[in-house]
Amino acid sequence: MATLLTGLAGGGAVEVRGVYHAYRRRVVLRGVDFGLGPGVLAGIVGENGAGKTTLLKILAGELRADRGMVHHRGRFGYCPQEVVLNDALTVRQHLEFFKAAFALADLRHAEKVMETLRFSQYADVRAGALSGGTRQKLNLTLALMHDPQVLLLDEPYQGFDWDTYQRFWELAARLRDAGRSVLVVSHLAYDGERLDELWRLEAGTLRRETAGAA
Amino acid sequence: MRRHLSLFATATWYDLIEHGRNRFAMLLVVFFIPTWVGLVYLTIPDRATPFQLAATGERLAPAGNELTQITGALNAVTLVTGFMMFAATFTGGRFDRRLAMAGYPRTDLVLAKAASLILASALLAAYATAAMCIAWAPKQPYLLAAALFCAALTYGAMGVVMGSLLHREVEGMFALVMTSVIDIALQNPVVSAGADNPLTRLLPTYGSVQAATAAGFSTTPVPAYLSLQLLWFAATALLGLLAFHHRTRNALPRPGRPVTAESRDAAALETQRAPAAGQNSSPSSP
Repeated sequence: MATLLTGLAGGGAVEVRGVYHAYRRRVVLRGVDFGLGPGVLAGIVGENGAGKTTLLKILAGELRADRGMVHHRGRFGYCPQEVVLNDALTVRQHLEFFKAAFALADLRHAEKVMETLRFSQYADVRAGALSGGTRQKLNLTLALMHDPQVLLLDEPYQGFDWDTYQRFWELAARLRDAGRSVLVVSHLAYDGERLDELWRLEAGTLRRETAGAA
Repeated sequence: MRRHLSLFATATWYDLIEHGRNRFAMLLVVFFIPTWVGLVYLTIPDRATPFQLAATGERLAPAGNELTQITGALNAVTLVTGFMMFAATFTGGRFDRRLAMAGYPRTDLVLAKAASLILASALLAAYATAAMCIAWAPKQPYLLAAALFCAALTYGAMGVVMGSLLHREVEGMFALVMTSVIDIALQNPVVSAGADNPLTRLLPTYGSVQAATAAGFSTTPVPAYLSLQLLWFAATALLGLLAFHHRTRNALPRPGRPVTAESRDAAALETQRAPAAGQNSSPSSP
Protein backbone atom coordinates (compact mmCIF):
# COMPACT_ATOMS: atom_id res chain seq x y z
CA MET A 1 0.00 0.00 0.00
CA ALA A 2 2.75 2.43 0.97
CA THR A 3 4.50 1.79 -2.32
CA LEU A 4 1.37 2.48 -4.23
CA LEU A 5 0.71 5.77 -2.54
CA THR A 6 4.30 6.89 -3.00
CA GLY A 7 3.99 6.14 -6.67
CA LEU A 8 1.10 8.52 -6.93
CA ALA A 9 2.86 11.49 -5.45
CA GLY A 10 2.91 14.69 -7.42
CA GLY A 11 0.43 14.11 -10.23
CA GLY A 12 -3.00 12.97 -11.24
CA ALA A 13 -3.48 9.26 -10.89
CA VAL A 14 -5.79 6.44 -9.98
CA GLU A 15 -4.92 3.30 -8.07
CA VAL A 16 -7.28 0.37 -7.73
CA ARG A 17 -6.62 -2.65 -5.55
CA GLY A 18 -8.71 -5.79 -5.07
CA VAL A 19 -12.02 -4.33 -6.18
CA TYR A 20 -14.94 -6.74 -6.08
CA HIS A 21 -18.48 -6.05 -7.14
CA ALA A 22 -21.58 -8.15 -7.62
CA TYR A 23 -25.14 -7.43 -8.68
CA ARG A 24 -26.90 -9.76 -6.28
CA ARG A 25 -25.49 -13.20 -7.12
CA ARG A 26 -23.88 -12.15 -10.39
CA VAL A 27 -20.29 -11.34 -9.62
CA VAL A 28 -18.94 -8.80 -12.11
CA LEU A 29 -15.57 -7.78 -10.70
CA ARG A 30 -13.41 -10.36 -8.94
CA GLY A 31 -10.46 -8.47 -7.53
CA VAL A 32 -9.49 -5.79 -10.02
CA ASP A 33 -6.00 -4.33 -9.64
CA PHE A 34 -5.06 -1.38 -11.77
CA GLY A 35 -2.93 1.74 -11.73
CA LEU A 36 -2.97 4.84 -13.89
CA GLY A 37 -0.10 7.26 -13.61
CA PRO A 38 0.18 10.90 -14.68
CA GLY A 39 0.67 11.53 -18.38
CA VAL A 40 -0.72 8.15 -19.42
CA LEU A 41 -3.41 7.40 -21.96
CA ALA A 42 -4.82 4.01 -21.08
CA GLY A 43 -7.67 1.94 -22.39
CA ILE A 44 -9.81 -0.80 -20.93
CA VAL A 45 -11.47 -3.15 -23.36
CA GLY A 46 -13.71 -6.11 -22.86
CA GLU A 47 -16.79 -7.76 -24.21
CA ASN A 48 -20.31 -6.50 -23.58
CA GLY A 49 -21.25 -7.18 -19.98
CA ALA A 50 -17.64 -7.71 -18.90
CA GLY A 51 -18.03 -5.04 -16.20
CA LYS A 52 -16.22 -2.09 -17.79
CA THR A 53 -18.96 0.41 -17.00
CA THR A 54 -19.32 -1.00 -13.48
CA LEU A 55 -15.61 -0.50 -12.92
CA LEU A 56 -15.69 3.05 -14.23
CA LYS A 57 -18.74 3.89 -12.11
CA ILE A 58 -16.81 2.67 -9.08
CA LEU A 59 -13.79 4.77 -10.05
CA ALA A 60 -16.02 7.82 -10.51
CA GLY A 61 -17.88 7.35 -7.23
CA GLU A 62 -21.22 6.54 -8.83
CA LEU A 63 -21.18 3.05 -7.40
CA ARG A 64 -19.77 1.63 -4.20
CA ALA A 65 -17.63 -1.46 -4.60
CA ASP A 66 -18.41 -4.42 -2.38
CA ARG A 67 -14.75 -4.66 -1.45
CA GLY A 68 -11.42 -3.15 -2.38
CA MET A 69 -9.64 0.16 -2.57
CA VAL A 70 -9.80 3.03 -5.01
CA HIS A 71 -7.46 5.95 -4.67
CA HIS A 72 -7.64 9.16 -6.66
CA ARG A 73 -5.27 12.02 -6.77
CA GLY A 74 -6.19 15.25 -8.50
CA ARG A 75 -9.41 16.63 -9.94
CA PHE A 76 -11.20 14.12 -12.04
CA GLY A 77 -13.69 14.32 -14.84
CA TYR A 78 -16.10 11.54 -15.66
CA CYS A 79 -17.91 11.08 -18.95
CA PRO A 80 -20.62 8.45 -18.43
CA GLN A 81 -21.48 5.99 -21.18
CA GLU A 82 -25.09 7.09 -21.23
CA VAL A 83 -25.45 10.77 -22.09
CA VAL A 84 -26.50 12.65 -18.94
CA LEU A 85 -27.98 15.99 -19.92
CA ASN A 86 -31.05 18.06 -19.20
CA ASP A 87 -33.09 18.17 -22.40
CA ALA A 88 -34.83 21.39 -21.38
CA LEU A 89 -31.58 23.39 -21.14
CA THR A 90 -29.46 24.77 -23.97
CA VAL A 91 -25.80 23.89 -24.45
CA ARG A 92 -24.80 27.26 -22.99
CA GLN A 93 -27.08 26.77 -19.98
CA HIS A 94 -25.45 23.39 -19.34
CA LEU A 95 -22.04 25.03 -19.38
CA GLU A 96 -23.17 27.82 -17.05
CA PHE A 97 -24.76 25.31 -14.67
CA PHE A 98 -21.59 23.23 -14.49
CA LYS A 99 -19.43 26.33 -14.32
CA ALA A 100 -21.22 27.05 -11.05
CA ALA A 101 -20.79 23.43 -9.93
CA PHE A 102 -17.04 23.41 -10.64
CA ALA A 103 -16.68 26.97 -9.28
CA LEU A 104 -14.94 28.06 -12.48
CA ALA A 105 -14.08 31.67 -13.10
CA ASP A 106 -14.97 31.48 -16.78
CA LEU A 107 -15.81 29.13 -19.62
CA ARG A 108 -12.64 29.58 -21.67
CA HIS A 109 -11.56 25.98 -21.30
CA ALA A 110 -15.05 24.68 -22.11
CA GLU A 111 -15.12 26.88 -25.21
CA LYS A 112 -11.78 25.46 -26.34
CA VAL A 113 -13.12 21.93 -25.99
CA MET A 114 -16.24 22.91 -27.93
CA GLU A 115 -14.09 24.36 -30.70
CA THR A 116 -11.98 21.23 -30.83
CA LEU A 117 -15.09 19.07 -31.07
CA ARG A 118 -16.64 21.62 -33.44
CA PHE A 119 -20.04 22.23 -31.97
CA SER A 120 -19.76 25.83 -30.76
CA GLN A 121 -22.52 26.80 -33.20
CA TYR A 122 -25.04 24.84 -31.12
CA ALA A 123 -24.53 26.93 -27.98
CA ASP A 124 -28.10 28.18 -27.94
CA VAL A 125 -29.79 24.94 -28.94
CA ARG A 126 -31.63 22.90 -26.33
CA ALA A 127 -30.02 19.55 -25.55
CA GLY A 128 -33.27 17.79 -26.42
CA ALA A 129 -33.05 19.12 -29.98
CA LEU A 130 -29.42 18.09 -30.59
CA SER A 131 -28.38 15.10 -32.68
CA GLY A 132 -27.02 12.03 -30.88
CA GLY A 133 -23.43 12.88 -31.81
CA THR A 134 -23.71 16.48 -30.64
CA ARG A 135 -25.29 15.36 -27.38
CA GLN A 136 -22.31 13.11 -26.86
CA LYS A 137 -19.96 16.04 -27.57
CA LEU A 138 -21.71 18.05 -24.86
CA ASN A 139 -21.59 15.04 -22.53
CA LEU A 140 -17.83 14.88 -23.06
CA THR A 141 -17.38 18.65 -22.71
CA LEU A 142 -19.04 18.58 -19.29
CA ALA A 143 -16.42 16.05 -18.21
CA LEU A 144 -13.53 18.13 -19.54
CA MET A 145 -14.54 21.71 -18.90
CA HIS A 146 -12.80 22.03 -15.51
CA ASP A 147 -9.51 20.74 -16.92
CA PRO A 148 -9.37 17.60 -14.78
CA GLN A 149 -6.11 15.87 -13.97
CA VAL A 150 -7.70 12.43 -14.19
CA LEU A 151 -10.18 11.67 -16.95
CA LEU A 152 -12.50 8.69 -16.85
CA LEU A 153 -14.23 8.27 -20.20
CA ASP A 154 -16.76 5.50 -20.81
CA GLU A 155 -17.11 4.94 -24.55
CA PRO A 156 -16.93 8.70 -25.08
CA TYR A 157 -17.07 8.64 -28.88
CA GLN A 158 -20.38 6.84 -29.36
CA GLY A 159 -22.29 8.55 -32.16
CA PHE A 160 -19.27 10.55 -33.37
CA ASP A 161 -18.61 10.77 -37.08
CA TRP A 162 -15.14 9.79 -38.33
CA ASP A 163 -13.69 13.31 -38.20
CA THR A 164 -14.93 13.91 -34.66
CA TYR A 165 -13.67 10.49 -33.65
CA GLN A 166 -10.22 11.43 -34.92
CA ARG A 167 -10.39 14.79 -33.16
CA PHE A 168 -11.35 13.04 -29.95
CA TRP A 169 -8.17 10.96 -30.07
CA GLU A 170 -6.08 14.05 -30.86
CA LEU A 171 -7.65 15.73 -27.85
CA ALA A 172 -6.95 12.69 -25.65
CA ALA A 173 -3.32 12.62 -26.81
CA ARG A 174 -2.88 16.34 -26.09
CA LEU A 175 -4.32 15.88 -22.62
CA ARG A 176 -1.92 13.01 -22.02
CA ASP A 177 0.98 15.15 -23.27
CA ALA A 178 -0.08 17.87 -20.83
CA GLY A 179 0.37 15.38 -17.99
CA ARG A 180 -3.23 14.33 -17.54
CA SER A 181 -4.17 10.73 -16.81
CA VAL A 182 -6.73 9.54 -19.33
CA LEU A 183 -8.64 6.29 -19.06
CA VAL A 184 -10.88 5.32 -21.96
CA VAL A 185 -13.25 2.39 -21.71
CA SER A 186 -14.38 0.73 -24.91
CA HIS A 187 -15.79 -2.56 -26.08
CA LEU A 188 -13.64 -2.18 -29.18
CA ALA A 189 -9.92 -2.83 -29.30
CA TYR A 190 -9.34 -0.99 -32.58
CA ASP A 191 -7.82 1.95 -30.80
CA GLY A 192 -5.02 -0.06 -29.22
CA GLU A 193 -2.26 1.67 -31.15
CA ARG A 194 -3.35 5.07 -29.85
CA LEU A 195 -2.91 3.99 -26.23
CA ASP A 196 0.07 3.87 -23.92
CA GLU A 197 -1.47 1.03 -21.99
CA LEU A 198 -4.17 -1.43 -22.90
CA TRP A 199 -6.02 -3.48 -20.32
CA ARG A 200 -8.53 -6.23 -20.94
CA LEU A 201 -11.35 -6.91 -18.50
CA GLU A 202 -12.17 -10.57 -18.62
CA ALA A 203 -13.78 -12.94 -16.14
CA GLY A 204 -13.95 -10.12 -13.62
CA THR A 205 -10.24 -9.31 -13.59
CA LEU A 206 -8.03 -6.89 -15.49
CA ARG A 207 -5.14 -8.18 -17.55
CA ARG A 208 -2.55 -5.90 -19.11
CA GLU A 209 -2.03 -6.31 -22.82
CA THR A 210 0.63 -4.73 -24.95
CA ALA A 211 -0.67 -1.46 -26.33
CA GLY A 212 -1.04 -1.55 -30.08
CA ALA A 213 -1.26 -5.33 -30.21
CA ALA A 214 -5.00 -5.70 -29.72
CA MET B 1 -23.16 32.65 2.07
CA ARG B 2 -23.05 34.79 -1.05
CA ARG B 3 -21.82 31.82 -3.06
CA HIS B 4 -24.70 29.69 -1.75
CA LEU B 5 -27.19 32.38 -2.60
CA SER B 6 -25.82 32.55 -6.12
CA LEU B 7 -25.85 28.75 -6.47
CA PHE B 8 -29.40 28.61 -5.14
CA ALA B 9 -30.52 31.33 -7.57
CA THR B 10 -28.83 29.58 -10.51
CA ALA B 11 -30.36 26.20 -9.69
CA THR B 12 -33.80 27.75 -9.13
CA TRP B 13 -33.63 29.59 -12.45
CA TYR B 14 -32.74 26.44 -14.38
CA ASP B 15 -35.37 24.48 -12.46
CA LEU B 16 -38.02 26.99 -13.47
CA ILE B 17 -36.84 26.89 -17.08
CA GLU B 18 -37.21 23.12 -17.00
CA HIS B 19 -40.73 23.29 -15.58
CA GLY B 20 -41.65 26.02 -18.04
CA ARG B 21 -40.56 23.81 -20.93
CA ASN B 22 -42.71 20.95 -19.69
CA ARG B 23 -45.41 21.84 -22.19
CA PHE B 24 -47.81 19.15 -21.13
CA ALA B 25 -47.76 20.42 -17.55
CA MET B 26 -48.24 23.98 -18.82
CA LEU B 27 -51.25 22.86 -20.87
CA LEU B 28 -52.66 21.15 -17.82
CA VAL B 29 -52.22 24.32 -15.82
CA VAL B 30 -53.81 26.62 -18.37
CA PHE B 31 -56.69 24.46 -19.61
CA PHE B 32 -57.25 21.54 -17.28
CA ILE B 33 -57.91 23.51 -14.11
CA PRO B 34 -60.59 25.89 -15.46
CA THR B 35 -62.10 23.15 -17.62
CA TRP B 36 -62.32 20.73 -14.74
CA VAL B 37 -63.76 23.15 -12.18
CA GLY B 38 -66.04 24.67 -14.83
CA LEU B 39 -67.46 21.32 -15.94
CA VAL B 40 -67.96 20.22 -12.36
CA TYR B 41 -69.92 23.38 -11.63
CA LEU B 42 -72.09 23.00 -14.72
CA THR B 43 -72.74 19.25 -14.64
CA ILE B 44 -73.07 18.33 -10.97
CA PRO B 45 -76.58 19.02 -9.58
CA ASP B 46 -76.78 22.07 -7.35
CA ARG B 47 -79.06 20.49 -4.80
CA ALA B 48 -78.00 20.89 -1.18
CA THR B 49 -75.71 18.24 0.29
CA PRO B 50 -76.09 18.20 4.06
CA PHE B 51 -73.12 16.98 6.09
CA GLN B 52 -71.22 17.75 9.23
CA LEU B 53 -67.84 19.40 8.72
CA ALA B 54 -65.38 17.93 11.21
CA ALA B 55 -63.12 20.99 11.08
CA THR B 56 -65.73 23.40 12.51
CA GLY B 57 -68.33 21.01 13.92
CA GLU B 58 -70.97 22.85 11.87
CA ARG B 59 -73.80 21.19 10.01
CA LEU B 60 -73.51 22.52 6.46
CA ALA B 61 -75.68 22.10 3.39
CA PRO B 62 -73.77 23.58 0.45
CA ALA B 63 -74.76 23.19 -3.18
CA GLY B 64 -73.43 19.88 -4.52
CA ASN B 65 -71.74 21.49 -7.51
CA GLU B 66 -69.92 24.07 -5.34
CA LEU B 67 -68.75 21.40 -2.93
CA THR B 68 -67.55 19.18 -5.76
CA GLN B 69 -65.82 22.13 -7.38
CA ILE B 70 -63.66 22.42 -4.27
CA THR B 71 -62.66 18.75 -4.34
CA GLY B 72 -62.26 19.00 -8.13
CA ALA B 73 -59.86 21.94 -7.73
CA LEU B 74 -57.91 20.03 -5.09
CA ASN B 75 -57.76 17.06 -7.43
CA ALA B 76 -56.52 19.28 -10.28
CA VAL B 77 -53.80 21.17 -8.41
CA THR B 78 -52.48 18.04 -6.74
CA LEU B 79 -52.27 16.22 -10.06
CA VAL B 80 -50.50 19.10 -11.77
CA THR B 81 -47.81 19.63 -9.12
CA GLY B 82 -47.46 15.88 -8.59
CA PHE B 83 -46.96 15.38 -12.32
CA MET B 84 -44.55 18.32 -12.66
CA MET B 85 -42.32 17.21 -9.83
CA PHE B 86 -42.52 13.56 -10.80
CA ALA B 87 -41.49 14.34 -14.39
CA ALA B 88 -38.62 16.59 -13.27
CA THR B 89 -37.36 14.04 -10.74
CA PHE B 90 -37.80 11.02 -12.98
CA THR B 91 -35.98 12.49 -15.96
CA GLY B 92 -33.51 14.64 -14.03
CA GLY B 93 -32.23 12.20 -11.41
CA ARG B 94 -28.95 11.37 -13.14
CA PHE B 95 -28.41 14.99 -14.14
CA ASP B 96 -28.81 16.09 -10.51
CA ARG B 97 -26.33 13.45 -9.52
CA ARG B 98 -23.85 14.60 -12.13
CA LEU B 99 -24.18 18.17 -10.87
CA ALA B 100 -23.76 17.07 -7.26
CA MET B 101 -20.69 15.01 -8.11
CA ALA B 102 -19.26 17.96 -10.00
CA GLY B 103 -19.40 19.89 -6.76
CA TYR B 104 -22.83 21.54 -6.79
CA PRO B 105 -23.98 21.61 -3.16
CA ARG B 106 -26.94 19.29 -2.80
CA THR B 107 -28.54 21.65 -0.30
CA ASP B 108 -28.75 24.34 -2.97
CA LEU B 109 -30.17 21.88 -5.48
CA VAL B 110 -32.82 20.75 -2.99
CA LEU B 111 -33.69 24.29 -1.93
CA ALA B 112 -34.04 25.26 -5.58
CA LYS B 113 -36.48 22.42 -6.15
CA ALA B 114 -38.42 23.44 -3.05
CA ALA B 115 -38.54 27.04 -4.25
CA SER B 116 -39.87 25.97 -7.67
CA LEU B 117 -42.48 23.79 -6.02
CA ILE B 118 -43.58 26.60 -3.68
CA LEU B 119 -43.83 29.04 -6.56
CA ALA B 120 -45.72 26.61 -8.80
CA SER B 121 -48.09 25.66 -5.97
CA ALA B 122 -48.79 29.29 -5.14
CA LEU B 123 -49.58 30.15 -8.75
CA LEU B 124 -51.78 27.09 -9.18
CA ALA B 125 -53.66 27.73 -5.95
CA ALA B 126 -54.30 31.35 -6.90
CA TYR B 127 -55.37 30.38 -10.41
CA ALA B 128 -57.75 27.63 -9.24
CA THR B 129 -59.23 29.90 -6.57
CA ALA B 130 -59.80 32.64 -9.14
CA ALA B 131 -61.44 30.11 -11.49
CA MET B 132 -63.86 29.08 -8.72
CA CYS B 133 -64.60 32.65 -7.72
CA ILE B 134 -65.98 33.25 -11.21
CA ALA B 135 -68.81 30.81 -10.48
CA TRP B 136 -69.60 31.55 -6.83
CA ALA B 137 -68.24 33.38 -3.80
CA PRO B 138 -66.38 31.27 -1.25
CA LYS B 139 -66.69 32.72 2.25
CA GLN B 140 -62.91 32.72 2.87
CA PRO B 141 -61.15 32.84 -0.52
CA TYR B 142 -57.68 33.30 0.99
CA LEU B 143 -58.13 30.26 3.18
CA LEU B 144 -59.36 28.35 0.13
CA ALA B 145 -56.20 29.33 -1.78
CA ALA B 146 -54.06 28.38 1.22
CA ALA B 147 -55.71 24.95 1.43
CA LEU B 148 -55.13 24.35 -2.28
CA PHE B 149 -51.53 25.56 -1.89
CA CYS B 150 -50.79 23.12 0.94
CA ALA B 151 -52.34 20.20 -0.95
CA ALA B 152 -50.36 21.09 -4.08
CA LEU B 153 -47.15 21.19 -2.03
CA THR B 154 -47.88 17.77 -0.56
CA TYR B 155 -48.45 16.14 -3.92
CA GLY B 156 -45.41 17.90 -5.39
CA ALA B 157 -43.28 16.29 -2.69
CA MET B 158 -45.07 13.01 -3.36
CA GLY B 159 -44.12 13.39 -7.03
CA VAL B 160 -40.46 13.69 -5.98
CA VAL B 161 -40.72 10.51 -3.90
CA MET B 162 -42.38 8.57 -6.71
CA GLY B 163 -39.97 9.97 -9.29
CA SER B 164 -37.10 8.70 -7.16
CA LEU B 165 -38.50 5.26 -6.40
CA LEU B 166 -40.44 4.14 -9.46
CA HIS B 167 -38.71 2.79 -12.53
CA ARG B 168 -41.16 3.59 -15.29
CA GLU B 169 -42.89 6.83 -16.16
CA VAL B 170 -46.27 5.22 -16.59
CA GLU B 171 -46.05 3.73 -13.09
CA GLY B 172 -45.62 7.18 -11.61
CA MET B 173 -48.44 8.71 -13.62
CA PHE B 174 -50.80 5.91 -12.64
CA ALA B 175 -49.76 6.00 -8.99
CA LEU B 176 -50.27 9.78 -8.80
CA VAL B 177 -53.64 9.78 -10.53
CA MET B 178 -55.00 6.90 -8.48
CA THR B 179 -53.69 8.32 -5.21
CA SER B 180 -55.25 11.70 -5.88
CA VAL B 181 -58.57 10.26 -7.05
CA ILE B 182 -58.93 7.87 -4.12
CA ASP B 183 -57.68 10.44 -1.63
CA ILE B 184 -60.03 13.22 -2.64
CA ALA B 185 -63.10 11.32 -3.92
CA LEU B 186 -63.42 9.45 -0.64
CA GLN B 187 -63.73 12.75 1.21
CA ASN B 188 -66.45 14.26 -0.99
CA PRO B 189 -69.88 13.81 0.61
CA VAL B 190 -71.52 14.09 -2.83
CA VAL B 191 -69.89 10.95 -4.14
CA SER B 192 -68.94 9.13 -0.95
CA ALA B 193 -71.41 8.19 1.80
CA GLY B 194 -68.39 7.45 3.97
CA ALA B 195 -66.87 10.93 3.72
CA ASP B 196 -67.08 11.34 7.49
CA ASN B 197 -65.60 7.92 8.21
CA PRO B 198 -62.71 8.26 10.71
CA LEU B 199 -60.44 6.52 8.22
CA THR B 200 -60.61 9.53 5.90
CA ARG B 201 -58.59 11.45 8.51
CA LEU B 202 -55.60 9.41 7.46
CA LEU B 203 -55.82 10.48 3.83
CA PRO B 204 -53.03 12.77 2.50
CA THR B 205 -55.25 15.77 1.78
CA TYR B 206 -57.60 15.47 4.75
CA GLY B 207 -56.33 18.75 6.21
CA SER B 208 -56.75 20.62 2.94
CA VAL B 209 -60.19 19.18 2.18
CA GLN B 210 -61.41 20.22 5.63
CA ALA B 211 -59.82 23.67 5.38
CA ALA B 212 -61.04 24.26 1.82
CA THR B 213 -64.58 23.18 2.67
CA ALA B 214 -64.59 25.48 5.70
CA ALA B 215 -63.25 28.24 3.44
CA GLY B 216 -66.08 27.71 1.01
CA PHE B 217 -69.06 27.53 3.31
CA SER B 218 -68.11 28.74 6.78
CA THR B 219 -66.56 31.82 8.33
CA THR B 220 -64.72 29.85 11.01
CA PRO B 221 -60.91 29.85 10.64
CA VAL B 222 -59.33 26.40 10.78
CA PRO B 223 -55.56 26.85 11.22
CA ALA B 224 -55.17 23.39 12.76
CA TYR B 225 -56.22 21.73 9.51
CA LEU B 226 -53.84 23.79 7.43
CA SER B 227 -51.13 22.83 9.91
CA LEU B 228 -52.11 19.17 9.54
CA GLN B 229 -51.70 19.50 5.78
CA LEU B 230 -48.33 21.18 6.22
CA LEU B 231 -47.35 18.27 8.46
CA TRP B 232 -48.20 15.90 5.61
CA PHE B 233 -46.09 18.05 3.33
CA ALA B 234 -43.19 18.03 5.78
CA ALA B 235 -43.34 14.24 6.13
CA THR B 236 -43.55 13.68 2.38
CA ALA B 237 -40.83 16.25 1.73
CA LEU B 238 -38.59 14.44 4.21
CA LEU B 239 -39.08 11.21 2.27
CA GLY B 240 -38.32 13.09 -0.94
CA LEU B 241 -35.20 14.56 0.65
CA LEU B 242 -33.96 11.13 1.72
CA ALA B 243 -34.63 9.76 -1.76
CA PHE B 244 -32.76 12.71 -3.33
CA HIS B 245 -29.88 12.30 -0.89
CA HIS B 246 -29.64 8.61 -1.71
CA ARG B 247 -29.77 9.16 -5.46
CA THR B 248 -27.16 11.88 -5.53
CA ARG B 249 -24.73 10.30 -3.07
CA ASN B 250 -21.08 10.04 -3.92
CA ALA B 251 -19.64 6.62 -3.17
CA LEU B 252 -16.22 8.18 -2.70
CA PRO B 253 -15.56 9.54 0.78
CA ARG B 254 -14.94 13.21 1.39
CA PRO B 255 -11.52 14.70 0.74
CA GLY B 256 -9.05 14.38 3.53
CA ARG B 257 -10.20 11.01 4.74
CA PRO B 258 -7.10 8.97 5.43
CA VAL B 259 -6.46 5.91 3.33
CA THR B 260 -5.21 3.02 5.39
CA ALA B 261 -4.42 -0.55 4.56
CA GLU B 262 -6.29 -1.76 7.63
CA SER B 263 -9.57 -0.35 6.52
CA ARG B 264 -9.59 -2.71 3.56
CA ASP B 265 -10.36 -5.44 6.02
CA ALA B 266 -13.64 -3.77 6.78
CA ALA B 267 -14.84 -4.96 3.38
CA ALA B 268 -15.61 -1.40 2.49
CA LEU B 269 -14.37 0.64 -0.37
CA GLU B 270 -11.47 2.76 0.74
CA THR B 271 -11.02 5.82 -1.32
CA GLN B 272 -9.75 9.30 -1.18
CA ARG B 273 -11.71 11.70 -3.25
CA ALA B 274 -9.93 13.97 -5.60
CA PRO B 275 -9.59 17.41 -4.11
CA ALA B 276 -12.33 18.05 -6.20
CA ALA B 277 -14.38 19.12 -8.54
CA GLY B 278 -14.80 22.45 -6.93
CA GLN B 279 -11.35 23.64 -7.86
CA ASN B 280 -10.18 25.28 -10.98
CA SER B 281 -6.74 25.49 -12.33
CA SER B 282 -5.45 27.28 -15.32
CA PRO B 283 -6.62 25.34 -18.29
CA SER B 284 -4.16 23.46 -20.35
CA SER B 285 -4.68 23.21 -24.02
CA PRO B 286 -6.91 20.27 -24.65
